Amino acid sequence: MPTQDEVRLAVPATPEFLRLARVTATGLASRLGFTYDEVEDLRLAIDELCYTLIGNSGRRGQVSLRYLMTSDGLQIEGIGQFDDGAEEPTISDLTRQILRALVDSYEVGRNTSGHPSFQLVKRTLASRQR
Amino acid sequence: MTFTPDQRDELRQMFVDFAESRDSGLRTRLIEAHLGLAEYFARRFSNRGEPLDDLIQVASVGLLKAVDRFEPNRGVEFSTYATHTIVGELKRHFRDKGWAVRAPRRMQELYLRLGKILGTLSQELGRSPTIPELATEAAVSEEEVLEALEAGQAYRFASLDAPSGQEEGETMAAQLGTEDKGLADAERRASLSPLLARLPEREQTILHLRFFEGLTQSDIAARLGISQMHVSRLLARSLAELRSAAEE
Repeated sequence: MPTQDEVRLAVPATPEFLRLARVTATGLASRLGFTYDEVEDLRLAIDELCYTLIGNSGRRGQVSLRYLMTSDGLQIEGIGQFDDGAEEPTISDLTRQILRALVDSYEVGRNTSGHPSFQLVKRTLASRQR
Repeated sequence: MTFTPDQRDELRQMFVDFAESRDSGLRTRLIEAHLGLAEYFARRFSNRGEPLDDLIQVASVGLLKAVDRFEPNRGVEFSTYATHTIVGELKRHFRDKGWAVRAPRRMQELYLRLGKILGTLSQELGRSPTIPELATEAAVSEEEVLEALEAGQAYRFASLDAPSGQEEGETMAAQLGTEDKGLADAERRASLSPLLARLPEREQTILHLRFFEGLTQSDIAARLGISQMHVSRLLARSLAELRSAAEE
C-alpha cells in the first residue's frame, strides 16, 4: 500500500467515546470514496473490534487508534492501554464470522509491546475490482 | 434509601443465607427491601419521556438480577452492586428505545431525508452512493451527512421510515418461505452462537443475509422491502444486543 496519510486518535476506553473512533473512521472512508454500504460496514466493524478490547462497559485506560489512508483503502489499528491488565482479547466464532463479512482482513491479539490490539483493512470497491 | 445499622446487618446476613440456600422466600424479602432503590433510579430517568411506572418495572428487573447475582463475600455493598445493575438495565431500556440521548432535531430531519435520497440515488446509480454523492443531493456538507448517519445509528426515531410492523412481517414471512436451505443455515448459526436465537426473527434473518450469505445492506433492503437505513439500524442494534448478551 503506497502513499499513506495517517491520523491518530486516543480516547478513554469507554463506550461513549467510541463514537469518536467511528466518526473518524467514517470521515476518512468518505474521503476515500467508500460507498454508504461500505461506510456502514466500517462503522459496525470498528464497534465490534473496539468492544473486543474494552468490553461492554469499558475499562480504565485508553484506546489509541491509528488510521492509515492508502490508495487502496483504509487500515485501522487499535491498541488498548488499560490500568487493570493487558490480557489477550478473546473473540467468538460469531464475531469472526461477522468481521469476515464486514472488512477485507482483520487481526486481534497483542502488539509487540504486549498491549491488546486489533487491526483491520477495508479496501474500496474500486481497488478490489482492480 | 437508608437503613439503620441493625437493618443493614440483618440484610447482609439474609444475603449470605440466600447465597447458600437460594430460598425463594428470602429472595422476595430481599427484593422488597430494596424496591426503594429501584424506584429511586427509575425517577432519575423519568424526565426522558417514558412513563414512570414502566421505568420502575425496568429498574425492578435490574434489581431482580442484582439480588440473584450478588455475591456477598466479594466485599462489595449490595447497594453499590445493585446500582450498577439497575442503572445498566435502565440505560439499556433507553438505548433499545433509542431515547438515551436525543439527537438535535435538525439531524433527525436530515437523517430521515437522507433515507429517502439513499433509496432514490441507489436506484439511479445501480449501486450504493458515496457520501459526497449523498451530500450533493441533500445540499449539505459531507460532515453533516456523516453526523446524521452516526446519529441515526445511536438514536431510533419515533417515526421510522419502515413499513408498519405487519406489512413488514408479511414481507418477511414471504421471504422466509422461499428460503430452501433455511434449516441447515439455522443449524450452522446455532452452532456458532446460541445467542443469535435470542434475537427477533427479523433481526436473525438480516444478520444471516449480511454475515452468512454476504449480501450487502442495500441488497438486504431491496430483498426485504425495507429501507437501507432501517437495515443499518437493525444490524447495529442486533450486534449491540449480541455483545451485551455475550457478556451476561
